[in-house]
Amino acid sequence: MSDIPAKRALPPKESNLFKELLTLYETRQLKKGLKTADLILKKFPEHGETTCMKGLVLTHMGRREEGIELVRKGVRLDLTSHICWHVYGLIHKGEKNYEEALKCYIQALRFDKENLNILRDAAQLQTQLRIYDGLVETRHTLLKIRPAMRQHWMALAVAYHLNGNLVEAKKVLEHYESTLKNVPDYDVEHSETMLYHVRLLEDLGEFTEALAMLDVSAKSRAIVDRTSIMEIRARLLSKLESDEAEHAWRVLVEHNPDCYEYYQGYLSNLGLTLDATDANAAKALTILEEFSTQIPRATAPRRLALTIASGEHFRELLTRYSLSAFKKGIPSLFSDIKGLYKDLPKQQIIEEVAVAARDQSSSASSASADVEPTTYLWTLYFLAQHHSYLGRHSQALEILDLALAHTPTLPELHMVKGRVLKRAGDLFGGARCLEDARFLDGQDRFLNTKSAKYRLRAGMVEEASSLLGLFTKKDAPSPGADLEDMQSLLYLVEEADAHNRNGNFGLALKKYMAVNKVFDEVEDDQYDFHGYSLRKFTINIYLNLLAWEDRLRSHPAYVKAALSASRIFVALHDDPSIGTAATATGGQLTDAQKKAKKKAKKAAQKIQEDTKKATPQANNDDKGLEPTPKDDDPDGSKLLQCTDPLERASKLLKPLATLADTNIEVWIAMYDVAVRRKKYLQASKALARAADIDVENPELHVRRLEFRQTVSSLPEPPQTVAQLLAETMTKLLPDEVASETFNSQYLQRHSTYAPAILAAARVQVKLQAPREQVEETVFTITSADVVLDIKTALAILTFLGTIASPRAEELRTWCGGRFPLSTVFKPAAELVALRELAITAPHEVPDKAEDIP
Amino acid sequence: MNIRPVRVEDLPGMQACNLQNLPENYTMRYYLYHAMTWPSLSYVAEDHKGRIVGYILAKMDEDGGEDAEPHGHVTSISILRSYRRLGLAKKLMVQSQEAMATIYRASFVSLHVRKSNRAALGLYRDTLGFTVQDIEKKYYADGEDAYAMRLSLKP
Repeated sequence: MSDIPAKRALPPKESNLFKELLTLYETRQLKKGLKTADLILKKFPEHGETTCMKGLVLTHMGRREEGIELVRKGVRLDLTSHICWHVYGLIHKGEKNYEEALKCYIQALRFDKENLNILRDAAQLQTQLRIYDGLVETRHTLLKIRPAMRQHWMALAVAYHLNGNLVEAKKVLEHYESTLKNVPDYDVEHSETMLYHVRLLEDLGEFTEALAMLDVSAKSRAIVDRTSIMEIRARLLSKLESDEAEHAWRVLVEHNPDCYEYYQGYLSNLGLTLDATDANAAKALTILEEFSTQIPRATAPRRLALTIASGEHFRELLTRYSLSAFKKGIPSLFSDIKGLYKDLPKQQIIEEVAVAARDQSSSASSASADVEPTTYLWTLYFLAQHHSYLGRHSQALEILDLALAHTPTLPELHMVKGRVLKRAGDLFGGARCLEDARFLDGQDRFLNTKSAKYRLRAGMVEEASSLLGLFTKKDAPSPGADLEDMQSLLYLVEEADAHNRNGNFGLALKKYMAVNKVFDEVEDDQYDFHGYSLRKFTINIYLNLLAWEDRLRSHPAYVKAALSASRIFVALHDDPSIGTAATATGGQLTDAQKKAKKKAKKAAQKIQEDTKKATPQANNDDKGLEPTPKDDDPDGSKLLQCTDPLERASKLLKPLATLADTNIEVWIAMYDVAVRRKKYLQASKALARAADIDVENPELHVRRLEFRQTVSSLPEPPQTVAQLLAETMTKLLPDEVASETFNSQYLQRHSTYAPAILAAARVQVKLQAPREQVEETVFTITSADVVLDIKTALAILTFLGTIASPRAEELRTWCGGRFPLSTVFKPAAELVALRELAITAPHEVPDKAEDIP
Repeated sequence: MNIRPVRVEDLPGMQACNLQNLPENYTMRYYLYHAMTWPSLSYVAEDHKGRIVGYILAKMDEDGGEDAEPHGHVTSISILRSYRRLGLAKKLMVQSQEAMATIYRASFVSLHVRKSNRAALGLYRDTLGFTVQDIEKKYYADGEDAYAMRLSLKP
């Protein structure tokens, strides 16, 4: 170019050096690159592009702060250089700051409109940021510059597709296909392309065309994915109401007779469903039984038949189904048919069949040789789960004692016993049983994970960690660190909850935030596929990936972590002292945990140092552009002392407003944050959404009253706000209803529902009712007809603590009697012994877990 | 249990299942890489609530060079302990093998198994017909050897 600004122009020698610098960077010869950059800068210290390149090289070498400072300086020195902006964009991209990165790339493109690298990067950023109209433009430019690149055509079609313009996507794809010559047989990329084309046609509603293309391509071997061909074919034929559809579904069933969707497809094509109450249920049942006969190895049709059948026919089918499972010793039988319990008559039949099977196998196993003794065992195993599920804890335990006396070495029996005890409120007993199970098969990680989980449920965090460490990487700083690296949401959520229940809010927050980080990582993971999938032509699954990423945070683990963390943040806002108090009052246990954390931190540091030492050419080592994560808050105390807890909570909850908008807890949590941030309109909207879901919800009840009190104490909100607030308030709690009446009517409506009773008591406190009256309300839970579970009982005890009720002990004792197997209501002194018992080795064998330092 | 081709939204369930069962674990990125490269080779088994109780994570092995025969490789397969004895592993394996053979014309499928994992070895050898091809010394991170096993997919 002739119009190079004077400050950018270099004499031939330096100009060559600069070209060399670019090559050295491309090939990551960082040390040499740095030297070369310095040579240029010695003579031309104000040269922007060299300054930027030096900064980039330094960043790669791990001298991050220095490097970024130079890049910034370089950009300032030469604001019209595409190289400077490109480098700055790379730095932002490395920090996953995609918005800023894109801005830089757009700047760079102003000064170098046809730079392929920059255009490609910009397209990936636009996809990541879901700026689809911009993406279409960028892809157009790329195609114009290099129309011979096959993937540029595909990329433009996909861009149109994402931007919602399927018609244009189809046109581009058709044009692309018309240019193809001599596609070899069995070309997987072409096969994927054609599958995408068929999907486009289907999405456009052009079913006949889609089917024609599918059939032609299948015949010519252009599409080689047989399963996909069969699935799409059946679906299209059904949509076209073709006579061939039935056969197409049958072919699928024969291809994979354990896929439920294929049976559903077959039935729904005939206008039938898997609903037992359907008038045509008998027809569907006949079809499934035919399939069962034709394909005896398939379990799906036999299981699906159980859903539709009823009465004596159900009994007959179930008997066959369950007897075979008892005989084979299939542990999942209960969880397999649990779904049938919704239907009470079926539940009854299941019990009768299982009891009969037990009685028969019990007498047979002692009398005849052709009945395996294990059959008896598995009927007991099933019955125990059955009773436990229906809340009959003692009955379940009796059966399990029988079974364990029969065969003490089956881990499954100990696991079920553990679950029964856990459900009955004996968390230590549960942990004890799971440890017994684990001991019987120490090689099985499944048993290990379960045992650790039960320890966490019982609040034994350190003890759980030493178990988990038996299967995590030995060189990891701690078992938890490995599980966090491996993105174990189960572990992170369970340990966070355990810390939360133990009152270690710092560590709880830390783990909840680690859950959030896993989702950040998975969101970032898609970035590379914006380029990769186009090159591989795997467009269908790529489009599914984007749709899935858009809803990523609807995952239950995220919802749980976001809600729990936001509650802690809110509590911190209300009383910052819990942040400092929590670590102080934990006593010995917290000290021990602190020590462990310190140890872990030291170990982590050591590993980092070791790896540094182990690398010889440390200063030529490419550290990449992503900052290395540092953990400067191992026990979460910094999180507890943050000055913006509400903003953090709000940020965590934000995605849930669209991704979990049917979850009432989400709206309650949003209200709690908004009202404290004095965003009253937002708060009122959240309550209105909660009320749409369940107007009688106990937590909502408390907030309705609280919000009335908050609004009425506001100084003078601006007119428009006041009016909007008044409107929602009329819906939530009309002015003419007195607060006391509102509360007492609520209590009357729900006098047998413990969570509602607690809510009413909390409102009484807000209305400054005398303590005795509040206690009286609370104690109505002791009435025989009240629905009460352990969780609510514990919440009520905590509540009595907050109002300093002298009757708390009285209620605690009552709860102990109400839940006779539970240990959670026992005095602390008794718990120490139980806790000890839960972790001691079952036999005289030393527990390997204890050897872990 | 329902046996079907994997979907993107199954990957977290697959990862959770793997973490519960096996000592060899992977980050989500690796699961995504499999799904985005060989979208039709992996399968899952799910229960009535849609929970993933078993999976096969599979790929094509491209390390063999230009003229090597294309072959499939099982990166990971496992079933939750409480869903064993249903033959799920075999059902998953059969579906995946079929896809390897028809889509990529794989001539055989390979996998690695810990020398000490007798249960898995039994499954691969006796139920699925794999044979031990080789022993790979210190294949696993903890220093354990692996059996490299193979099954021919040629009819």
